[in-house]
Formats: sequence, C-alpha cells, structure tokens
Amino acid sequence: MDFKAIWSQLIKYFRLRKYQYVIVAFVFVAVLPLFVGSEYLVGHVFTLMVIFALYASSWNLLAYSGQGSLGHAAFLGIGGFVSALISIRLGVPPVLGLFLGGLVSAGIGFLVGLACVRLKAWFLAMVTFGFSVIIVTIFSQYDEIFGGMMGFATPSFVPQGLAFYYGTLAIVASSIIAIFWVMNSKWGLAFKAIRENETEAKMIGINTAKYRLLAFVISTFFAGLAGGLFAESQLFIQNDIFSAENSFLPLIMAVIGGLGTIEGPIIGSIVIVSIDSFAPLAYPFLQPLNPLFPGVTNVGPSLTFVGLGLFLILVVIFLPKGITSLLPKLYTYLREGETKNKQKDTDKVMEK
Amino acid sequence: MKLTSMIPLAISSGLTQALLFGVVNGCIYILLATGLNLIFGVMKLVNFAHGELLMVGAFVAYQATTIAGLNPYFSILVSMASVALIGIALEKFAFRRVRGTEKLNEIFISLGLIYVFENLATLLWVENYSIQIPSPLVGLSIPLGDVQLSYDRILSIVIVIIILVGLVLLTKKTKIGLAMRATSQKSDAAMLMGININKVYTFTFAVGAALAGAAGALYGIILNFNPTIGALPTIKAFAIIILGGLGSIPGAVIGGLLYGIAENVTGYLSNGTWQNAVAFALLIVVLVIRPTGLFGEKGE
Repeated sequence: MDFKAIWSQLIKYFRLRKYQYVIVAFVFVAVLPLFVGSEYLVGHVFTLMVIFALYASSWNLLAYSGQGSLGHAAFLGIGGFVSALISIRLGVPPVLGLFLGGLVSAGIGFLVGLACVRLKAWFLAMVTFGFSVIIVTIFSQYDEIFGGMMGFATPSFVPQGLAFYYGTLAIVASSIIAIFWVMNSKWGLAFKAIRENETEAKMIGINTAKYRLLAFVISTFFAGLAGGLFAESQLFIQNDIFSAENSFLPLIMAVIGGLGTIEGPIIGSIVIVSIDSFAPLAYPFLQPLNPLFPGVTNVGPSLTFVGLGLFLILVVIFLPKGITSLLPKLYTYLREGETKNKQKDTDKVMEK
Repeated sequence: MKLTSMIPLAISSGLTQALLFGVVNGCIYILLATGLNLIFGVMKLVNFAHGELLMVGAFVAYQATTIAGLNPYFSILVSMASVALIGIALEKFAFRRVRGTEKLNEIFISLGLIYVFENLATLLWVENYSIQIPSPLVGLSIPLGDVQLSYDRILSIVIVIIILVGLVLLTKKTKIGLAMRATSQKSDAAMLMGININKVYTFTFAVGAALAGAAGALYGIILNFNPTIGALPTIKAFAIIILGGLGSIPGAVIGGLLYGIAENVTGYLSNGTWQNAVAFALLIVVLVIRPTGLFGEKGE
C-alpha cells in the first residue's frame, strides 16, 4: 500500500464519528496533565494508568488468541530488570534499553509459548503461573546482579514528571495502535479463529501452533516494554515486580474493561488504578469499622481488595462484556439526544 | 571419627526425614487435589479458589479448637461441614451463573473469590499472623530408624486414608455417587435419565469443598498458616491432577505422593530455595512431553 492510499484510509477513518471520539479522548488525555497541578496525580496516577493500559492490552492480545496467562508478571519483571540492567551496566540509552528489554522478554516468551503450544486453557494458566514462580526463584538467587530484596535504582529515559508522562504516553499510544493493527489484521483473524474453535481453525488451514506462538511473542514483547516503563516510573526495581498480584491485575483490568476489545484494557486500567490510588482517601471514614475486625489495625486496604474481588465477580456475572459494552449504549444515547435536539429545532422552525 | 564418614550419614537421615515429610504433605495435597478433581470431573469446572477453601478450613478448625475448646481432630468435622456450606453458596451464587459461558469466565470468578477470601480472612484473623492449631499430641513422636515422625503426622496419614476410602464408597456404592458418575460421563444424557443436574452439581461442589476443609484442618495441625497460604496449594493440587491424570483417584494419590516427595527432597537438598521452582519445572516438563499428564488417558 502506498503512502497516498494509507493517507486516504486514515482520512476515511477520521470521518467516522467513532474515531472522532477516539481523537477527542486522546487529546483529552494529552492535555489534561497540563491543567492538573498535582505532581502526584500526573507522576504516579496518570503515568501508572498509561503503563498499565499497555500491560493489560498485551494480556488482552494473548487472551484474544484464546490463551489465558496467569504469570504475565514474569514478563513484566523480565522487561523491567533487563531494560534497567542494560542501561546501567552497558551504558545503553534508557529509551533503547526499554525496547531491548521488550525483545528479551519476547525471546523468553517465545520459549514459554513453544512449551505451551499444545496446552488448553487451564493447563496453560498453570504453566504460566508456574513459570512466574520459577522466574522469581531464579532472580532471587543472584542478589549481586538483581539487587535482592532491596532492589536497585533505575534510570529514566526522560526526566520524571510531565516529560516522563508524555514520553510514556507516546510509547504506549503507538504500542496500542500496533496492537490494534495486529488484532484487525489477518493475524488477528487467525487468533480469533483459534479462540473460537482450535480444531476448526486447523481444519481450514490455519497453522494454529504458529499463530499461537506469534500471539505469545507479541504479547510478551509489549508486557516487557510495559515492565521497563513501570520500573522507570517507580524509580527502582525489586523482586516484588513478579508478585502474583501483578499477574492478576492485567487480567482484572481486561475483564472489567471488556475482554477482546481494544478499549477494554484501557478503561479497565483507568478504573483499577483510580480505585487503587483514590481508595486511601476513604480509609478515614472506615475507621469506625475497626473494632469489628480484629485481624488488622486499618480495615481500609483489605476492604478495598474485598470490594475489588466482588466487583470482578459481579462484572463477570452481570456484564460479561465489561464496561466497554456500555459505551455503544452511551453513544446511541448521545446521538439520540442530538437528533432529538435537531428535531426540536425543526419543530421550532415549523412553528414559526 | 573422621568427618568425611559422618557426612553421608547426616545426608541420609535428613533425606529420609524429607521423604517422610514429603509423604505427609503429599497426603494433604491429595485431599485437595481429589476435591478439585471431583469438581472438575463432574462439573468440568476449574476452581482456582480451591486453596482458599483450605485456608478457611484451617481457620475454622483453629477457632473451633481455641474458642470452643474442641479436640483438633474433632474440629476437622466442624471445618468440613462449614466449608461444605460455603461451597454450596459459591456454587449457587457464583459458578452456576457462568456455567455454559466461556471457559475463562470460571477462572475470572475464582480470581475474584481469591481476593475476597484472602482479604476477608485478613480482616477476621487473630492477633498472631502465623498460627498453628494446638494439638494435644504435640511433641510426641515415634522414632523410625534415625528420624522422628510425630503422632500428628501419622494420624494425618490415617485420616486421609479414611476420607479417601469414604469417598470411593460414596462414588461407587451410593445412588448419588452413581448420579455423579453418570453426570461426569455425559451431563445431557444424565439429565434425560431424570437426574437433577443442579442437585448433583451442588452436592459435588459441597463434597469437594469438604475435602478442602479437611485438608485445611490437617494443614493447620501440622504446619503454620496465615491468610495467604491458599494460592500455592491450589496450583500444586492442579499440578497433581495433571501428573495423575484427570478424573482418577488413584492417579491423584500417586501424583500427590510424587509431588510431595519431590518438593520436600528438592527443598532439603537446596535449603528450601528451589522447593517451589523445581516442582513447577517438573510439572512443566511433564506437560510439555505429555500434554494430558502422566497417567491421563484423554485430555480436556
């Protein structure tokens, strides 16, 4: 496809109302930090939202091919450690280190994917979880390289703060566009066919092993990239990055947002990071509950997690397609409002 | 005595100890894995929150022993009953809602349950974070050669055997067992034969949960526990099912013993660091070579 054709295609997309909303949303995300004075909000909350949007999207792409991973934190951690170590030890520019971290993560993802190619849903979930346990064991063996429990400081590819937010946003936005492109390409079609019915996909001539592996490699590359960004945003990295919680988070985000859609993980990331960041504001109001629960001195964090778990269960039961499935309704509601207004205008004209 | 001649002796007695402890741990895993296997076999349901039921079982048994003053071995029954009730609630209000939809939904539901159980347990926990059920037999042990095996561990093995025999009798000799087996083979046909599938599912889940409750009580008697112990045993139980093959109780017994021994021996040889990793590596190798497990006939 030549440049002109791509350009006309783009123009065609932009003329569609749906994409105008996407552009509005992107501009909003890009401009918002300029008007938010709080350094904490931009540096921690917004940046984390953007990074986790990429991480959840990478998990979502894997699930798009019918493969659910319960050990994605392994790749997040590999990306984080490798990118930081490459930059510190070899003096590679951190921005290059990020992508090298992603590549190493993808290489290891290739090997894990190779082992998993024949496995079905829960066996795969098992193996990936087991792999993350193995990885954390290996990493905690070599404290002099990986910093042990204390971890070590990571470099930043741009200065922290607003610049880091925009740098992250640029990398993440282009990565998510790439994921979107993959999902809507011929590869994405193959992923979908495998997810729906692997035997049938094989029958119509799809090399299922190849495409499952491809999904694994692409997904782990972006997970590693997100890991590098995550490590830089936290200013340091330690073995904690491999925690089971980091494996479960992208899943929760993708499911709450809407599994298998491009916007689902992004919305899920916004929702979950918001809950995580703003729930502490409610802790003082929960203090009266303290005497009821002898196990903890502060009921807030545990109650938040109970709420998160219940939220996930309720979404799966009552809103199986996630929050995203509400968006078209909102969209038609907005449009109906618009047409109603137009109707009113014409009515007024008629009255006159 | 020369030092070199002492080392092999020390290793061998430590190794025997590790082997024996592996067998005992394996027995607890067997209970958990059998419950999981039963639920999977009959309902084709994967409950990643099964280990949380073990944790709840241990906690209930602890409370029954310390507050109500029951004998810990009697409190196993209390814990089995209460965890079975929890299981019935879970099946009715959570898992039944997503039955017949995408397989991944069950994994999502059980992940949500893990969050709920772990944190509710943290909220309701007692003052000491890591606790153990006080057993009247503590400190008593039988010398076996040059190692000691405590009465508690021996009793656990006996209890596991009794429960497993009871389970086999339940599935092979009773009417509800027949219904369970019929449902596990083909649920549609079983429904046409007049079996109330929903009842069978609820009963199966309750039995599986009760097994997890018993496993939890035994775990609490032998080892320290805290609100987060649930996650790893679940995965280990899955590993055992995969090693032993889906839907077979003898397979789960062999798999559980193998896993318990492998875990404890590697833990002993590497001072505990490689304990979980090597066991999982073993599992991954088995899965890669035989995707249906060591003794599994057909994969799901």
